[in-house]
Amino acid sequence: MYQYDTLDKAMVADRAAEFRGQVARRLSGELTEDQFKPLRLMNGLYLQLHAYMLRVAIPYGSLNPTQMRKLAWIGRTYDKGYGHFTTRTNLQFHWIKLRDTPDILDHLAEVDMHAIQTSGNCIRNVTADPYAGATAEEVDDPRVWAEVLRQWSTFHPEFSFLPRKFKFAITASPKDRTAARVHDIGLVMRRGRDGALGFEVIVGGGMGRTPYVGPTIREFLPVDQLLSYVEAILRVYNRHGRRDNKYKARIKILVAALGTEEFTRQVDAEWAKIGAEINLPDAEVARIRAAFAIVDFETLPSRSETFEAAKAASPALARFARNNLKPHKRPGYAIVEISLKGIGETPGDATSDQMEVVADLGERYGHRDIRVTHEQNLVLPHVKLDDVPAVWAALRDAGIATPNINLVSDIIACPGLDYCALANARAISIAQLIADKFRDPDRAENVGELKIKISGCINACGHHHVGHIGILGVDKKGEEFYQLTLGGSGAEDASLGAMLGPALPYDRVAGAVDTLVEVYLRERQPGERFLDTFRRAGVAPFKEAVYADAH
Amino acid sequence: MKALTANRLSDGDVVFWSAGQWVERFADAHLFADDDPAGPEAEKAGKGQPTVVIDVYLIDLVESEGIWTPLSYRERIRALGPTNHLHHGKQAEGGAVIAALQQAHGASRSTGRVNLIKRTK
Repeated sequence: MYQYDTLDKAMVADRAAEFRGQVARRLSGELTEDQFKPLRLMNGLYLQLHAYMLRVAIPYGSLNPTQMRKLAWIGRTYDKGYGHFTTRTNLQFHWIKLRDTPDILDHLAEVDMHAIQTSGNCIRNVTADPYAGATAEEVDDPRVWAEVLRQWSTFHPEFSFLPRKFKFAITASPKDRTAARVHDIGLVMRRGRDGALGFEVIVGGGMGRTPYVGPTIREFLPVDQLLSYVEAILRVYNRHGRRDNKYKARIKILVAALGTEEFTRQVDAEWAKIGAEINLPDAEVARIRAAFAIVDFETLPSRSETFEAAKAASPALARFARNNLKPHKRPGYAIVEISLKGIGETPGDATSDQMEVVADLGERYGHRDIRVTHEQNLVLPHVKLDDVPAVWAALRDAGIATPNINLVSDIIACPGLDYCALANARAISIAQLIADKFRDPDRAENVGELKIKISGCINACGHHHVGHIGILGVDKKGEEFYQLTLGGSGAEDASLGAMLGPALPYDRVAGAVDTLVEVYLRERQPGERFLDTFRRAGVAPFKEAVYADAH
Repeated sequence: MKALTANRLSDGDVVFWSAGQWVERFADAHLFADDDPAGPEAEKAGKGQPTVVIDVYLIDLVESEGIWTPLSYRERIRALGPTNHLHHGKQAEGGAVIAALQQAHGASRSTGRVNLIKRTK
């Protein structure tokens, strides 16, 4: 993975030292809360219901075992022995004390980590395909370009006070695991007719209270022109974004207001003015690329007799392999997904002990490479098939071998009203109630791919708009109610969910999901996922069943 | 009835006003009658301690089986801890008031916080 150079290290250390001084001045009263709040937010420190929350950046969801062990240690030392992985592939500590934060930032800096770009109206942590560098589907390694964007955007003075926050996602596979089409900028790498690499540039997608699937404003941007083009987009946004109204300040509102054609025209005009000099020289791209190359893959047969024998002997391992293993570009290797969605557990939570197990496995079996997915799971991207039985056994012993990737219990849920100061309703416990309905793994596998996403308020951190089943917590006459939407997708076939009907009370939600699944099982045709059946059959059979049931 | 709450500056912990100081347990909070001017006076005093607490506000209470509890679900979660980790937060201590808070039924976030909507002067 990419190694920080001396400049990166100095920037992170300087920022930690600066924040130490700011915290001291706040505690002494030299700074008021109004003066301090934007400073702490720029270091990822929020005040939530029970304590401060520190959001640690994990650039493009990639970290090494040393970093994971440090997160585990911070969780044990300064929190309650756990951390929460988020849909931005970051990690949140939910029980942090302000007075401890300067020390925590120093500890993070020791392993080249920080909380920069995890809050505020800046370019946030760039997310990328968690299978980058491992999947045979990709046309290039998207981490190279995510790292280019990280270096370009970090402390970029022109873009550190945008009208609102700004999120990039980047993938180089036709199968989109980044929700690129619902980002401020989504970049999808592809090859042109001449074989050259480029990006499809999607702008103005987003969720929140005004969701949009973003339009494509350029079908093919040559890779070497990435920085000048995105700089042009950001300049148009910076100039015209609605700073007067927080709810209309995201770029999606600007793109929708101007129209795709006019927005594109303005970007192109700005791009022409910028010129090519800010684009990265090939030598620098090559330097970054070299940091991601794994050179010590072994030459292996595509079939591992060790692995096949272990699967034959253990139905549990065979089930894990069916659901949590994904094809690797190299024969004899697999991508291993680690579900943080144990039945009855909090989606995205990992204890410090579990983080250390994953770190050890990454060290011993995984080329020191660990990823975080935007679906709040972890990935060991390069595991030899021969080693999968040992990896699985260690995960099982740590309670993180749940074989449910992409299944009904692999649910995204925001922290909701259990932690978040903005929430209207709980999300975690709804996820737990639904997962419990599908605790029988045979039934869950029979249902197949079904993405449920739950948000505790309209800000949509739980991505409910793009859930095959989306669940939004609302406050209805002072009680927790939940609005269900169907047919959303954050993948390459992106779409926004359609409202099912009136909001349901807390204790009806899991039952309603069960009913929706039963309708799907009844209606589905061979090969159809839940989403496909909904798109073919429409909302009517689902609506009828849920509301007949509710009366 | 009302109680006065805030988060402590140094660690973010939820605190309640009691006899001129901040305490950690809702069970120890001073309860103000709705028309008692001491409530707003305490709020003003709390807001005058910016190096001790932040986000000072009064909350509405409701009687539930003989014990006064925060009206809003949000405030009950603040007084208890998260419902997904029952050993985290103030609820870990247990006791009659904690049990009453856990069993109380009532409103959610839109009610229960006095002067939630900040009006411009």
